[in-house]
Amino acid sequence: MKWFRSIVAQERTTARLTGVLAVTILTLAITFVLPPVADSQLAGGAAISIVILGLSWLVGWSGQISLGNSGFMAVGAYATGIWAVHHGSTPLIFTFFLATVIGAISGLIIAIPSTRLSGPYLAGMTLAFSAAISPIAQNYTSVTGGEGGLFFNTLTTPHWFLGLFSGQNATINANAQWTADLAVVVAGVAFFFMANLFHSHTGRAMRLVRDNDVAAELVGINLPRTRTVAFVVSAAFAGLGGSVYVLINATVNPSAFPLTLSITLLTLMVLGGIGTLSGAVIGGIIYAFSTNLISHLNSLTGINPTSNLGANMQGIIFGVLLILTMLFAPHGIAGLGRRLRFFVKSVRRVASVSTGE
Amino acid sequence: MSGEPIVEATVELEDVTVRFGGLLALDEVSFDVQPMEIVGLIGPNGAGKTTAFNVICGFQKADSGTVRFPALGHNALTTSQLCAAGVARTLQGVGLFTNMSVLENVMAGAQGHVGRGFASSLFGFPAGFRHELKLRDDAMAQLERLGIAKFASALPYSIPYGISKKVSIARALMGRPSLLMLDEPASGLDENELQELAELIVQLRESMSVLLVEHNMDFVMPLVHRLVVLNFGKVIATGAPATISTDPEVLAAYLGVDS
Repeated sequence: MKWFRSIVAQERTTARLTGVLAVTILTLAITFVLPPVADSQLAGGAAISIVILGLSWLVGWSGQISLGNSGFMAVGAYATGIWAVHHGSTPLIFTFFLATVIGAISGLIIAIPSTRLSGPYLAGMTLAFSAAISPIAQNYTSVTGGEGGLFFNTLTTPHWFLGLFSGQNATINANAQWTADLAVVVAGVAFFFMANLFHSHTGRAMRLVRDNDVAAELVGINLPRTRTVAFVVSAAFAGLGGSVYVLINATVNPSAFPLTLSITLLTLMVLGGIGTLSGAVIGGIIYAFSTNLISHLNSLTGINPTSNLGANMQGIIFGVLLILTMLFAPHGIAGLGRRLRFFVKSVRRVASVSTGE
Repeated sequence: MSGEPIVEATVELEDVTVRFGGLLALDEVSFDVQPMEIVGLIGPNGAGKTTAFNVICGFQKADSGTVRFPALGHNALTTSQLCAAGVARTLQGVGLFTNMSVLENVMAGAQGHVGRGFASSLFGFPAGFRHELKLRDDAMAQLERLGIAKFASALPYSIPYGISKKVSIARALMGRPSLLMLDEPASGLDENELQELAELIVQLRESMSVLLVEHNMDFVMPLVHRLVVLNFGKVIATGAPATISTDPEVLAAYLGVDS
């Protein structure tokens, strides 16, 4: 944990690049070991970690709250889906760019009225936005495919990659892993850009506004503009995450973006650790493997997964974890390491003082 | 103003009036601060000193009258533009950024001068890194100048009050201001710290104008070139400290001497 922090916290861009690259390569290596099912879950986790990172930037750095990031995610997702259906053959990098830009534009549209608000009013406004997205997608059938959604198959595993696999189910294994690797690489790029933002004058401007908006204005910060930039960046990351999310699933439909998704995103962000790169990674990991763990838990305890209790198990567990995190690890799982070190240090200090006397 | 020398004032208030509902906070207030001049703004509590500050730095809109910055070549600036134009202000009660180190707090003072775009941040261009390094050196130099360099990595809540006041001044100086506005810089400081602060302000005067709100008369009197005395939102006297201290109206209104 410490070495990771020390690399990423450097101010030089090359050092950040090295840190992000190291984690990305490590994760790519892990995808070679994991079974295909776990690879698919990891791909979903990588996509969600991009969205969490964008939310983490908004909440942790600029001090604003948003319950609308699932909406921004849906915008990026539908932009990707509609583009893929009509122009499936364009390079993927263009699709990602498009989803990011359209996500950013939707963020701008929401930000202009939102930056006048704060606290619960801002939460309400953004919640209204994410609540509106699904019905729009359901009813605007000619473009969005309505309830059934859109299907596309843009991700084709290249031949050289297929060649790496042999034996039974070679194609399935290769496809699952190619999807995961692609999602991890896109996430790596996104994390690199966010690491840059964290350590730039833009990142500092966000923290100034968060800590003391009066003093921030006095040192030359345009408050509405800075808050708008925070929203637009957050929405751009959500758009990109949404794009990856639907590309790996090869389908986009309204049920993927329920109102509760925004709450889940916030929960994952808090569990991982607000405002840090590693927190978003941890949030993504929890997302990737929680469904699996919970179904294991259900079968272990003999709870019927379709019963009222079993179906809501994720909400129950996330809720309890959230409360525990708030109480005992306010900086999330990413902050636990630092907290433990601090605890050990202070215990040692107390011990040395009491033995010295 | 006819017959005055041609030197342009750093800041100039003309007939500024501010009303809060029925309360007349400022009543046709006019005064100016000349380049390289130290001006003290004094008056009893509720006289309108802080409101005058707020009008100058754009926090409060004047109901009538004008604020001009002739020497800076700018007028009608918003608060966030002032920093780049050369006006810096400290806040009553310090107003540091709570979750940032002392060094970062001081670096933040030059935020209005960054002049770099979003792309530079996003891609992490090397020029941005060099700029940050330079900013850090500048901030360190300011801390050394004020003798508080050893607190650079401390967080604001962990340092003594006197030090945090100096940090807020260091932050204001990072904007390389032409006009430095200090809101009660002496409150809560001990004798030594007052002495140091006075020496600092005299030093600063060589490169900028200073406008300060202060209650501590022993501190203000030997320091300033001119005093502006406010009472109930009106300027009741303007002049050199020696003349002000014998002005009967001022004595009655402010210095607590019975007639």
